[in-house]
Amino acid sequence: MIKFFSIIILISPFFYCQSDSFDFFSSQNIKKFADHLYCEGDYLRAVEQYQSIQQSISDDTTDYKIIYAYSLTGYLQKSNELFKSISTESDLYPAAHLLSLKNQLLLNRKSILTESGVSDDSVYLRNLNKLRIISMLYDEEMTYSHERFTYTFDEDEKIPVSKLYDEKFNPPNKDAIAAGVLSAIIPGSGKMYVGEWGDGIAALITTGLLAFLAVDNFEAGHDTRAWIFTALGGFFYIGNIYGSVAAAQIFNARIDFEFNAALNLFLEEKNYFVPVYDFCN
Amino acid sequence: MKLIILFFFISITSAFSQTDFVKWEKADFSYEQPVEQTRRDYSFESANAGEFITKSLTNAYWFFISDVDGDNCPFRPSCSVFLLESVRETNVFQATFMFFDRFTRDVNLFKGKNHYPRLKNGYYFDPAVNYTLVSEKINYLPPGFVVDD
Repeated sequence: MIKFFSIIILISPFFYCQSDSFDFFSSQNIKKFADHLYCEGDYLRAVEQYQSIQQSISDDTTDYKIIYAYSLTGYLQKSNELFKSISTESDLYPAAHLLSLKNQLLLNRKSILTESGVSDDSVYLRNLNKLRIISMLYDEEMTYSHERFTYTFDEDEKIPVSKLYDEKFNPPNKDAIAAGVLSAIIPGSGKMYVGEWGDGIAALITTGLLAFLAVDNFEAGHDTRAWIFTALGGFFYIGNIYGSVAAAQIFNARIDFEFNAALNLFLEEKNYFVPVYDFCN
Repeated sequence: MKLIILFFFISITSAFSQTDFVKWEKADFSYEQPVEQTRRDYSFESANAGEFITKSLTNAYWFFISDVDGDNCPFRPSCSVFLLESVRETNVFQATFMFFDRFTRDVNLFKGKNHYPRLKNGYYFDPAVNYTLVSEKINYLPPGFVVDD
């Protein structure tokens, strides 16, 4: 038994030992290694390997992988520069075009100016149109009606797109002046109006308590103390009006933030309408 | 069979044993947190008269009260630093209103619930720039967000 195991242990390294004649640095092997890195998500190192063999092995899939990898890792400008080198004859050119528009959108965060399609492929044209239309949500003004805006999208996309359109052009903002006026009438009510109930109640109690202390001390003839409480109460009163206006502005900034987060999430989920190719299986 | 198992045990322990070159040693980590007071700027450098008055009052407050009382403000910047930042961002009158508003928000017992972003050390992040009434300057961060100090 011991002999048997010893033989197995000694023989197996001979089978798997490294041969001197194996060329690790041949173009084909570097490409295999680059493909492996790409599939493992190690994009920048994959790009490095792909570029080292670009003189000897060059195909449109590798070119597309490079611009896709640069886009995924945030080198958007670089990705767009390399997009120009992709042949217009390539089957991947429409996808690369969409990818370049995605990069452009991420770089500028404003609507993509109308560009004509680079292919007659209906899926590509539809995706191009969707990306162009949804990018309009980054602008402040909209020329499309709600119906026209949602028309291009598929049935399952219509609801989120419609919601995004409404949030952009009919946001549930709060009026900063109304918040200030409300707090001037009843301290803290402006903050309650913008949803800051805790701050509103705190403002009401603070201002109310100081007003009571001021009145009570005036009535008791303690004029100095009364004036101190009056001054403090006055500062808190004006501070609460000021704070209500500021709170309404912050509320509106929150609405804007949440809209942008929802829009970015939607686009991420849709991969910016760029088709996804599985190069690894 | 026993010999094989013994052989494996010896091989594994030899392979993962500690070498003489890299010995495990005590790490010199410090678990002390920097105290706000040690980072305070007690100078009187000011851009205008309003800032000079505010800085003088703040320095006096820090020296006579805050340094003795300890680090109690749950916000960052703390209320006194908030006042100074407010004066730098706006003017002494507007800064006073901003300060009293901050004070009111500090009184709120439920301020910690789903309201402010936080610093890594747990303080509520509430910069003065969000309260200058200039919408473009507001840098909104959601409550769950953790800000790098």
